[in-house]
Amino acid sequence: MIELNKNRPIANPIAVLREEFDEWGVLFNPDTADAVGINPVGIAIWKLMDGEHDLEQIQAEIQDQFAEVPEAAGEEISAFINDLDERGFIGYEVESMDQ
Amino acid sequence: MKARNRSEQEERIRVMRTPRKIDIDLTARCNLRCTYCYFFDNPEVEYQDLPTDDWLRFFGECGRLGVMELTLAGGEPFMRKDLRALIEGVVANRMRFSMLSNGALINEDNAGFIAGTGRCNSIQISIDGSCPEVHDTCRGKGSFESAVRGIQTLQRLSIPVAVRMTIHQHNVNDLANTARFLLEDLGLPSFSTNSAGYLGTCRVNAQDVMLTVEERQFAMEELLSLSEKFNGRISASAGPLAEARAWRDMEKARNEAAPAKPDRGYLTGCGCPTSKIAVRADGVIVPCNMLTHIELGRINQDSLQEVWQSSPALNDLRFRRYIPLTNFEFCSGCPYISYCTGNCPALSFTLTGKVDHPSPDACLRRFLRDGGKIPEKFTLHSENQINIEVIQ
Repeated sequence: MIELNKNRPIANPIAVLREEFDEWGVLFNPDTADAVGINPVGIAIWKLMDGEHDLEQIQAEIQDQFAEVPEAAGEEISAFINDLDERGFIGYEVESMDQ
Repeated sequence: MKARNRSEQEERIRVMRTPRKIDIDLTARCNLRCTYCYFFDNPEVEYQDLPTDDWLRFFGECGRLGVMELTLAGGEPFMRKDLRALIEGVVANRMRFSMLSNGALINEDNAGFIAGTGRCNSIQISIDGSCPEVHDTCRGKGSFESAVRGIQTLQRLSIPVAVRMTIHQHNVNDLANTARFLLEDLGLPSFSTNSAGYLGTCRVNAQDVMLTVEERQFAMEELLSLSEKFNGRISASAGPLAEARAWRDMEKARNEAAPAKPDRGYLTGCGCPTSKIAVRADGVIVPCNMLTHIELGRINQDSLQEVWQSSPALNDLRFRRYIPLTNFEFCSGCPYISYCTGNCPALSFTLTGKVDHPSPDACLRRFLRDGGKIPEKFTLHSENQINIEVIQ
């Protein structure tokens, strides 16, 4: 059985981040042609999904980078990451593989 | 109407950091010599194909800048012996691609490779009639059979096929047959139409290929009818069908003395320079593959991002949308001025020598003065025997 480290999301390396207007951007998966618009916070989160930062660290970085981050930011960040996960934009390291 | 000042314009122009799409003329060679081709007989350009490595290096730059799609055209892109390597370069740099082709050189082998990449948005094939006798008139003997064979190969491999019909004097009476052939016999989901425009080789053969006023009016009526019959499966962004729809709206607005629509009354006919750019077969970056005389830079020598963001000539094209039609003697006294976009700058250039000018070819007032009529009603095809009034 494969166990994934869901606490450390990794941006799908095939996906392309296009930064377009006013710090907003588009995430584009050339394999599926799926594209999603993201705001400046989303772009910052995307750049932090390197497999090194866990969810807590991502939230802390966002609170550092942006003013007036609401208390519920952790939930919103998780929801954003889950959405990207469902769309195939991110993956996770395999933590263990039981035979 | 007055021109907005430059600082006001600069605030309003929103340009992406990099282009989303790039039209690439991979080659200046073609296996056909169509009599209305926009590409050949271009007096401003002497093309020479680039080596594989030059394109691959440029595709690397495109990928780094987050370009999403390349349209591979020409000439005929399947003429390139290194096409497979070039497509591999597109894929390796995380982009998707489309192709414009005459279909003749498509076979199981190259189409199978394209299907295998999973990155092809569509391949557009030109079909100009329902049979060889019509299609081959302007495109050359044998071109119909080979184009249809190409389409069927793509269909077998589930590669999306986009067919474009260019309407001219020799196929204008075959529109219904062509629609039936493409949508029923070949089973395509849709196709698009255009008409031979005063560009490239068409300028040399204009008298023999371009639609007369009467033919244009017939094509407008026929295409409106066919579009209705086939539930909107016929589209157009230029040519008689697009004109019929736009001109009916303009006439309706004029009749109702409607206020000017947003983005009308200025040279707003082309939005391309805000999202895409083009590269000629010789590597020169241009705003559009129909404005090949405006040289913005050269791939692998000039930074694409810098050209995109800072080229004065490209910015001039973007600011074109703030030039009011009232500036032009050509538009003086026109009752449609508040509802008009001035249309394609490339056609304006070939017809008037000026990019910053409305295109005379797309002028409704001129069409009416020449005896044309805006389609008001149309008849579904004779087998249906139904007359339909268009709601104005």
